[in-house]
Amino acid sequence: MDNKRAIFLDENDNVANLTDTIHAGEIVTLNGPGQQGNTITAIEDIPFGFKIAIKDIPNGSNILKYGQPMGVASKDIPRGCLVHVHNIEGARGRGDRREQS
Amino acid sequence: MTKFYGFSRTDGTAGIRNHTLIISATRASHVLATQISRYVAGTKCFVPGDEDGRSTKDRETISRVMIGLGCNPNVGAVLVVSNKEHGGYPEFNPQRLADAIVQTGKPVDVIILDKAGGLYTALGEGIKKARRLVREASYARRSLLDIGKLTVGVKCGISDATSGIAGNPPVGYFLDRVIENGGTAFFSETTEVIGAEHLLVDRFVSEHEKQKFLSAVQRVEEEARATGEDIRTINPIPANIEAGLSTLEEKSLGAIAKAGHASIQGVIDYAQRPQTPGLYFMDSWMSSTSLFLGYAAAGACLVVFQMGGEGLPVYEPAMPSIATGFVSPILYTTGNPRTYEKAENEMDFNAGGIITSGETVQDVGNRLLHHILEIASGTMTKAETMDYQDQVEVYLTGPCL
Repeated sequence: MDNKRAIFLDENDNVANLTDTIHAGEIVTLNGPGQQGNTITAIEDIPFGFKIAIKDIPNGSNILKYGQPMGVASKDIPRGCLVHVHNIEGARGRGDRREQS
Repeated sequence: MTKFYGFSRTDGTAGIRNHTLIISATRASHVLATQISRYVAGTKCFVPGDEDGRSTKDRETISRVMIGLGCNPNVGAVLVVSNKEHGGYPEFNPQRLADAIVQTGKPVDVIILDKAGGLYTALGEGIKKARRLVREASYARRSLLDIGKLTVGVKCGISDATSGIAGNPPVGYFLDRVIENGGTAFFSETTEVIGAEHLLVDRFVSEHEKQKFLSAVQRVEEEARATGEDIRTINPIPANIEAGLSTLEEKSLGAIAKAGHASIQGVIDYAQRPQTPGLYFMDSWMSSTSLFLGYAAAGACLVVFQMGGEGLPVYEPAMPSIATGFVSPILYTTGNPRTYEKAENEMDFNAGGIITSGETVQDVGNRLLHHILEIASGTMTKAETMDYQDQVEVYLTGPCL
């Protein structure tokens, strides 16, 4: 089984988790509802267990996983990019933000 | 087949082990308690941290842990140890602790240093008493019991991306089977519900319990904000971030899968035993040095640690917890095939097939269930084979005064 895979669980998800380490330019096969068997070319290196954007995610929009918001994009994230702490902001527990409601 | 061979206790609970527990009623009596334990086979010795200068709430918590451990169905007999017959905080009065535990119908005895006439006479008498208790406890016999007699607690740790996808879902499946057969289960880690609480809230059976839950989560989030820090510098922990988890919400969404789908009867405090069966949320800190102790004090006979593990160091790591369930064994499971390979000496169960070969949660959940029934019937978990008295902490919140 040569193909590298990424798993997601809900059809609304815009990220998927790599089940193999992948390098820029390699092709990932998606496992999940609505995109089963579809492929994406990785734009950058993504380690096992990290997330790849499976749709373009604009700055300020929700990152969706398990069909739920798990954070907000802090930059525009093209499909095929690594999604992690450098381009996501958590919305909860932000003691560093004074104006939190 | 959903049965196991367990110890049917007089109070109706079912144990999967048969320890004799020695409880040091205060920190000060630890020398007497631990030295008795050294000489007597089949004993485990619980020593609290310093109780002096603690609030009533914290003292009651420590006392509740002691009584809860003594009442745990894995405990066949108890010896309460103290330096003083009278005086001290009322929560740690040795006779009061013994009286609470003897309600279960198990043999309980007390040894007190000043009443015995000093350390050396107390040590000798204490050893005599403990040997008698251990032998009495050894008359207990296993019988065939239904899975619904189990009380279990679950926690996830060193979370990575596999935790939410492969590690936790089979644990949730197992919990669903325990609950539907009339058993009891606990999940916890209040911090790691932040971001996922809306998915749990409607499962609570009453409005009152729902509000308790939301208040608990809100309280923890406010505590986080009051630090003035981005919670991502605290939780997720560095091991989570190094493994690819990016936000607390992401971690929480994956974490709640271990709670299955059953209705939630309510919120219980740390180490609080519920009055009726079912699934409960224990409002507690997530640290495995204290949470498994809290589950055991609440009556759990087995605790399950689902580990992502990508953040573990290389080959053949040591586990963060070996015996923090104290009287209740830890079963380790992982949904990360790489973790299973690295830590096979410590991992009881591999759920990685969900990732590598597309196994279903149901198939893996059934295999996990049957393995747990073996453990319940007397097969040792891998952690149990290490002869180790783990460091435990009681989860305390009050000021130290």
